[in-house]
Amino acid sequence: MSNKAARNLFIFGSLFFFVIFVMLTIDTMGKLDKRAPAITEEVNAGKMVWHKYDCIGCHTILGNGSYFAPDMTKITEKKPKDYLKQFLMDPKSVNPKASMPKLGISSKEADDLIAFLDWTSRVDTNGWPPKPILATAAGVAVKELTAGQRVYQSQNCANCHMISGIGGTTGPDLTHVGSKRDRTWLFGHFKDPKTYVPNSAMPSYGHIGEKELNDLTDYMVSLK
Amino acid sequence: MTIKYESQKIAQNFYTFAVLLFLVQVTVGIIAALQFMWPDFFILNFNIIRSLHINAMVVWLLVGMMGATYYVVPEESETEIWSLPLAKFQFWATVGTVLAVVLGYVYMGINPQANTLVFGTRLLNEGREYIEAPRWADILIVVSVLLFLLNNFMTMLKTKKWTGIQGTLLGGLTVLALMYLPGMFYTKSMVKDQFWWWWVVHLWVEGAWEVIAGALLAFMLMKVTGVKREVVEKWMYVEVGLVMFTGILGTGHHYYWIGTPSYWLWVGGIFSSLEPIPLLIMVWDAFRTTRETRVVTNKAGLYYTVAHAIFNFVGAGLWGVIHTLPQVNKWTHGTQITTAHGHLAFYGAYVLLVLAMIYITLPAIRGVKAFNASRAFQSFWWMTISMIFIVLTITGAGMVQTYMERLMGLDYVAVKTNYNLWFWILRAIFGVGFLYGVLIFVVDYFKLGKEPASAVAPAPEKA
Ligand code: HEC
Ligand code: HEC
Ligand code: HEM
Ligand code: HEM
Ligand SMILES: [Fe+2]
Repeated sequence: MSNKAARNLFIFGSLFFFVIFVMLTIDTMGKLDKRAPAITEEVNAGKMVWHKYDCIGCHTILGNGSYFAPDMTKITEKKPKDYLKQFLMDPKSVNPKASMPKLGISSKEADDLIAFLDWTSRVDTNGWPPKPILATAAGVAVKELTAGQRVYQSQNCANCHMISGIGGTTGPDLTHVGSKRDRTWLFGHFKDPKTYVPNSAMPSYGHIGEKELNDLTDYMVSLK
Repeated sequence: MTIKYESQKIAQNFYTFAVLLFLVQVTVGIIAALQFMWPDFFILNFNIIRSLHINAMVVWLLVGMMGATYYVVPEESETEIWSLPLAKFQFWATVGTVLAVVLGYVYMGINPQANTLVFGTRLLNEGREYIEAPRWADILIVVSVLLFLLNNFMTMLKTKKWTGIQGTLLGGLTVLALMYLPGMFYTKSMVKDQFWWWWVVHLWVEGAWEVIAGALLAFMLMKVTGVKREVVEKWMYVEVGLVMFTGILGTGHHYYWIGTPSYWLWVGGIFSSLEPIPLLIMVWDAFRTTRETRVVTNKAGLYYTVAHAIFNFVGAGLWGVIHTLPQVNKWTHGTQITTAHGHLAFYGAYVLLVLAMIYITLPAIRGVKAFNASRAFQSFWWMTISMIFIVLTITGAGMVQTYMERLMGLDYVAVKTNYNLWFWILRAIFGVGFLYGVLIFVVDYFKLGKEPASAVAPAPEKA
């Protein structure tokens, strides 16, 4: 092959692939709106706030960004909105050990951000992030659960709390909570956390029924 | 070694600015590494430090490539630069813009509310990774790059010697300038935002920049080994051609999970898996050329050139291909595996490229026949070994993260603060080793040709 032929192959080959890429881009652009919910004013305002505070300088979203803090794609599926709002406005008021700084986010900005994060959580991401495959496999073979453990699981307490190394880190570790709190405190706290802990960011569980709350309390008390 | 055209000396302005920013980049990199252990340890939050780290990196690499281009184009065109005052103006305009942007980041770090909305865009920081620079700075940067391109094209037009090397170099630079534009408009959809964002980021590092690297590699091999132009240029076309054929559609490896249609899993998976091939040809090219020649005029220069080719392949090619298939990327997407790859790829492909260009052209600019290369080798080994260990520790952290968080379902923060702690400590230690290597390089850069220490006395003949 002569140098000239090699050069022409480079130039026209690149153009050829670029044209295909542009065609795929046009096709994709036509399909994106159907793969995500409609963008309201609030969602857009939330996206602007996301950029304003450079959240992507610490977090990933849709898996892209920085690897210093958890991914935000599906965060509203995992955490209730009141909790998120309080965390955004003052992380350390939720979790004294939080390393996210207090950025000065206003109440309105927090609402907008949550609308935006709720939007991303409903984008069709071809199944990302995947369900943890080993956890699912272990769940099938798990030993008989007590009634309290079943409530703990169905209410997703582990999104915020850790027991023996498994679970979230934003609420206190519950591994030994039974030696710290008594039955009345735990039961009352489930019904209305704020009367026991001022400014508590834990959601109230008054709605789940007396029996379930009793089972849950039994379980907590057993954690010594 | 002396320069043929006086105006080639302008390259040195760009090199000096690049070298200083390199020092800033690595210093703030160490602060970022320490913040993984102590998040509040510095006045500026992690996000600001990280923006400084990656922006300083992108800017110094670009500035280094600009310097290299101002050296190569007159040499290839066999004439002085079209307008030296324009080149100087373009240099100082770039310095001014960069400093203003940096001050803006620092100010925003102290007072996040200062990042207000002005004419619909952010005043200090756009809040988009790598292209954080606000819109007004984007526009100034584009103007500066256009002046730079104009100056070089006019230089080429003066003598109309269309060599393959400078044609490819300027072609790559033009695509680079064009591919900055998709990052310069706002979209309400985060999916579209990221779609266009990858046009900039991917089509830069795996398209335009890699073409520039191919052209500079050919130039450097020709300079240090004296190999025939026809041969290096032919292989250069093969390399940069394959870079584009695989890299353009390879962009699909970023469109797996961001809300884009699933056909990208096929397009991205297939084409990006082929991306290492041209990088491997570059390694082979460097070795073949070196083996065929006995007279090496610049040992340090050749060393850095060959190392660039090798680590371009290892960092971009190997560390890229391990997580590029959708079946793997589904689990590793957005983990420390990505950071590991990012570091080795940028180091191998572009840091070593710019340093190689500096070692090959600076002696001529400073008018020295030969120079003592011992510091060049020392800094090379300090930097390279430290970088290898940074990458290994972060790859380890990424494997632990992928296993525990993504496969077992443990909490992100728990994995980060408990299981990966030692990896962060080790990274910071090797980071200091890297900084030491950079310091040796900086000293060497400023002293090269200015001390009588080398065996051969400096011979400042005028061109
Ligand atoms: C300086 C880095 C940093 C910045 C900037 C930052 N975050 Fe965070 N964020 C963190 C870290 C680290 C965590 C993990 C929990 C912790 O240790 O605080 C976190 C946690 C969170 C959580 C709670 C996650 C959970 O599971 O409870 C939310 C929600 C969140 N960030 C949203 C945001 C948003 C929205 C922004 C931009 C307005 C932002 N963050 C900016 C570092 C940051
Ligand atoms: C959205 C996050 C979140 C969820 C979900 C959550 N909690 Fe909490 N929890 C917290 C926070 C924050 C605190 C600390 C403030 C407080 O004590 O009220 C807390 C405190 C507690 C405490 C007191 C611990 C102590 O040491 O004082 C217990 C017990 C508890 N939670 C149990 C549960 C149980 C059981 C569930 C599930 C039914 C649950 N939590 C669900 C966030 C959460
Ligand atoms: C010199 C060339 C390259 C450089 C400088 C580079 C750099 C980077 C960087 C910095 C990122 C992270 C971007 C972010 O912050 O989100 C990234 C991501 C990625 N790169 Fe590269 N890269 C190069 C070449 C390659 C090649 C050749 C491949 C494949 C063969 C590849 C595969 C990937 C993949 C799959 C990701 C996405 C990781 C994820 O899902 O989180 N890269 N690259
Ligand atoms: C020439 C050398 C270096 C280059 C080219 C480089 C490049 C980069 C890049 C591209 C990123 C973005 C990460 C990504 O998106 O994948 C990054 C982030 C980072 N770098 Fe560097 N870096 C270098 C040296 C260092 C050093 C010496 C340290 C200090 C130990 C360091 C610490 C960091 C940290 C802590 C981050 C943040 C990573 C994260 O978000 O998880 N870097 N660097
Ligand atoms: Fe890529």
